[in-house]
Amino acid sequence: MQATLTALLAKATAELATLKSRADFEAAKARYVGPNGEFTALMKQMGTVPKEQRPAMGKLINETKGQLQVQLDATLARIGDAEISAQLGPAIDPTLPSPDAGPGTFHPLTLVREEMCRILRKAGFTVVEGPEVETEYYCFDALNTPADHPARDAQDTFYFPEKARFANVTKRVPEEKYLLRTHTSSVQIRTMLKGEPPIRIVSPGRVYRRDTSDATHSANFHQIECLYVDKNVTVRDLKALLDYIFASLLGKDTKTRFRPHYFGYTEPSFEVDLSAQHLPKVNKEWIEIGGCGLVDPAVFEGVGYDPNVWTGYAFGMGLERLAMLMYGIDDIRYFYQNDLRFLKQFA
Amino acid sequence: MKISRNWLRQYVRIYASADELMRAITLLGFEVEGVVNTGLPPLDLVVVGEIKTRDKHPNADKLSVCTVDVGPAHGGVRTIVCGAPNCDAGNRVPVALPGAVLPGDFKIKQSKIRGQQSDGMMCAADELGLGDDHAGLLLLDPAAPIGALLNSVMPEGDTVFDIEITPNRPDALSHIGIARELAAWIKLEVQFPEIKFRGKSDPAPRPDILAGIRVDHAEDCPLYVGIAVAGVKVGPSPAWMQERLKAVGLRPINNLVDVGNYVMLELGQPLHIFDAKKIGGRQIVVRRAADGEKLTTLDGKERALNSRMLVIADESQPLVVAGIMGGASAEVDATTTDIVLEAAYFRPQSIRWTGRRLGLASDSSYRFERGVDPHSTLEAAYRAIDLILETAGGTVAGPVIKVGGDRPWQREITVTPDYIRARLGFSIGDEEIRQSLESLNLAITGEKKKDEGFEWIVTVPSYRSDLDRPIDLVEEVLRVYGTDRVPAAACTGPALIDGDDDPIVVFNRKAGDYLVGQSFHEVVNYTLRAQKELSTWVSDVSAAELGLANPFVDDQSHLRPTLIMGILESLKLNQSRGVPVARLFETGRVFMENNGTVQECVAVGFVLCHNPKDRAWLARPEPDFFAVKQHMQILARQAGIELDQQQLVPVRGAFWGWQEGHSAAAGEMNDGWTARFGLLNLPMVRNLGVEGRVWAGMLAVLPAKLAAVTGHRRYQPFSLFPAALRDIALVVEAGRHAAEVRAELLKAAQASTGDGFAVEAVEVFDVYQGQGLPEGKKSVAFSLSFRSAVRTLTDDEVNVAFTKLQQTIAADGTMTVRG
Repeated sequence: MQATLTALLAKATAELATLKSRADFEAAKARYVGPNGEFTALMKQMGTVPKEQRPAMGKLINETKGQLQVQLDATLARIGDAEISAQLGPAIDPTLPSPDAGPGTFHPLTLVREEMCRILRKAGFTVVEGPEVETEYYCFDALNTPADHPARDAQDTFYFPEKARFANVTKRVPEEKYLLRTHTSSVQIRTMLKGEPPIRIVSPGRVYRRDTSDATHSANFHQIECLYVDKNVTVRDLKALLDYIFASLLGKDTKTRFRPHYFGYTEPSFEVDLSAQHLPKVNKEWIEIGGCGLVDPAVFEGVGYDPNVWTGYAFGMGLERLAMLMYGIDDIRYFYQNDLRFLKQFA
Repeated sequence: MKISRNWLRQYVRIYASADELMRAITLLGFEVEGVVNTGLPPLDLVVVGEIKTRDKHPNADKLSVCTVDVGPAHGGVRTIVCGAPNCDAGNRVPVALPGAVLPGDFKIKQSKIRGQQSDGMMCAADELGLGDDHAGLLLLDPAAPIGALLNSVMPEGDTVFDIEITPNRPDALSHIGIARELAAWIKLEVQFPEIKFRGKSDPAPRPDILAGIRVDHAEDCPLYVGIAVAGVKVGPSPAWMQERLKAVGLRPINNLVDVGNYVMLELGQPLHIFDAKKIGGRQIVVRRAADGEKLTTLDGKERALNSRMLVIADESQPLVVAGIMGGASAEVDATTTDIVLEAAYFRPQSIRWTGRRLGLASDSSYRFERGVDPHSTLEAAYRAIDLILETAGGTVAGPVIKVGGDRPWQREITVTPDYIRARLGFSIGDEEIRQSLESLNLAITGEKKKDEGFEWIVTVPSYRSDLDRPIDLVEEVLRVYGTDRVPAAACTGPALIDGDDDPIVVFNRKAGDYLVGQSFHEVVNYTLRAQKELSTWVSDVSAAELGLANPFVDDQSHLRPTLIMGILESLKLNQSRGVPVARLFETGRVFMENNGTVQECVAVGFVLCHNPKDRAWLARPEPDFFAVKQHMQILARQAGIELDQQQLVPVRGAFWGWQEGHSAAAGEMNDGWTARFGLLNLPMVRNLGVEGRVWAGMLAVLPAKLAAVTGHRRYQPFSLFPAALRDIALVVEAGRHAAEVRAELLKAAQASTGDGFAVEAVEVFDVYQGQGLPEGKKSVAFSLSFRSAVRTLTDDEVNVAFTKLQQTIAADGTMTVRG
């Protein structure tokens, strides 16, 4: 009996090793341990074994059965692994390119805008938006621009016909005309009319000038402006903000300089120059980058703030100009042509 | 405006270099747009030499060998080879000695020219940086001392600055104006030109030259001064005056015209000179033109005037468009003997309006429309009379006639030094503030005690009418102190401020992040488009509402109602340049007409292009409607809109930008949003010259709708018991929308479920049309999922519900259960 068991186990081991498919395995398994299997038949012979030999023989059969089961399990696992492996194709060539589209990119103007917003957010500024179609009040009157100021001329500003109606921009007086905003400063007015100081906002957006398009001028372009209103705001605070912005954006060796200038909505007013030797095309020269100043008391009066209590500063600049400076781009029109060879360079 | 350094030196003793002057002008607040140096630049080792002998060069036909005496200090007589035709013995000429560096970094060395030693170079004008004359050597004054530095015998060069003057500073539109500013910067006094004629003597009236002046419209002409001069002789103006005028780009005409220009550029007051005999009735009338009245201006053009325009007229006709340009008929000419000088102050708004209306501008109108100082007008007239008498002779005929200008100038600003320091934010002493103000002629004429400290009364000169509040003086102090000296400071940390980034910004960021993550490239296109383009996307009625009143160019006349047309243009540009392009997007404003009004919307648009010419080593399926729908669904959610809860309808009719049958629309502007997506119209894409099929989507949302997206969701409990699943296929009309069939099925299923359990999901898993189904029908298969919140459902109760459901469907009549 013992010899028979040993022989059967050896035979099963040899056969199982040759099996390739699950079907063969199931057939072989039935031949050994199925109801009519060889091993099952041996177990049925237990009854014919003399009583005193039964414990020893039972132990032997159980051991053999256990060994057989191990063989069966291993074989099934081996066949299962082989089946999974068969599902894989041939080995891949990892150096082939993905046929799917590569990484997407943000437009450089978006990148610069978001970078500025991120820098200003650290200084406590939140981003606000306003409409691009504006009324004369928000774009000019509230910003201390007199009715006959040349900037309001139809030669320089895009107007809409008198009959034009914009549902989500409200005129303050029926006579005023709708126009395309010439600067994002209109957003400052909207913000101040909406709430009380302190105010700390940054307003990026698209603006329009009625101008010839060339390498440095574009029919529409983008500005980013900051407004801070609080008690005791000074020229020095303004300088500190600008130094912080440009050191963060362009590196620590960036310097800024104020030049006196004139804007209707600030007093005193300055143009801001910057110098950063590492930037392409800047070298040691001072490059004009934006305008700024303390908010003119007349503007505060117009929005109902007491100019004896509140002070503030405002700062604005062109995003295209900044991007051109940062990236060394020499023609503003590239921003609007959207050649992918251009767009992919910045992300 | 052009400013000559030499001219400035007439009024203030400035000897700074051109660079230093430029910096000073810049930091005073006047942008220097250009600098031109004229005359001889400073040159070392370039001296006066006299040619002693001239011989022909033995080896060259066109060269001469000269001996030149350059003085004992420079080695006496030298041999110099020269190619100029006029290197004749006896001429005194500029000699560049070895070691000299001429303009253009041209270094002079001893050399051999065709075998002949040459010990320096004799120079033509162009070689010295004086113009472009290369015809021959520059011949010097025969009395110029031999051996002297050339700079010492030549007139000094000039530097001319082209300066931009901001509109608030009309006082700086003259040499005196800039001199005043520079004097404040370098702390020097300004020397005004001495004025001899002061209208003191009171000669008898000369009605034969000027009978009278009548101002009919004092509002537009608050001051008019006329002075007659008899017996002038018209001729060229003196050389010094011509030189000044030429330096700043003016062409000398004659002594009278030149005096007018000279005084304007010196003092900022525009003047006009009439030939007295051409003034009809010898009567000057300042009046508004009659509508339709005509005047031929000096530039030869006939101008049609109207009744808002001010003119200077005689008794019958207009002679001058006041303050802007003279007419051809009353000008000074060679035969002029008696003149009338006009010095006036015109209301800036009137000049500006008339100039714009006529499309006419001049140096005079430029100054008047920015505002000249009426309190200096008389002074300028006297200065001009001095110069006329000096350069053209004659005598003042009759008294000075002055109409208007009676209101004296008086302005004081009360300010404390503490206020100035508080606005500046840094410490600057009282004395320095006082000096800064006084250097600008802002005299402190009084001091008042105040609760704490004191106040200053600052008197403002008449030419600085831009200053009238304490804040204005802050800028003046800082200008003189130096805006480049504002000390650095730390950017102070803010108090917390209410509010978050605008919902528009947040939406744009989310949309951009998603699309960039999906391999889209962001593009930026112009807002203004051509009218004809719009008809592809909106009705003509809508397009009409989007037009500008004053477009600059025809192809940028209308607001864009969609982003897609711009993105398609970007697509086309890349294709035409051979740059592979598949996915583009843009965020920005679009403008939607709705019931006769226009709404400005926040929008995101994208395209996916399948260009069969783009090859890949491994094929991928072409994008399809449902890929686009997926993108749109995600973008809509970022705007707070669940697209699958919205009614989707096919895009039809006028909006043929979209391919009928392969595109969909959702939302209405009345709800604050609208979405369009799917395949772009194939012929349109082809006509644009874009290759391949283009899938696209655009979502436009009112800003107010975005602002409403706030708040947190509440948690909804969900069942932990297993679901019971059943499948059902329904046969319906082929044209019927799946969403409608699903809605019917859901309704029936909800009605069929028993107590304590519900339909959890109804999802399409197959759509079939063709063999085995009647013509014009399709089968839509759904999987239904039933679940109870409180127990495991039994097969029996689900079967009962499912059977009931099938009966409901069978009773519906529009659909049958597929066997």
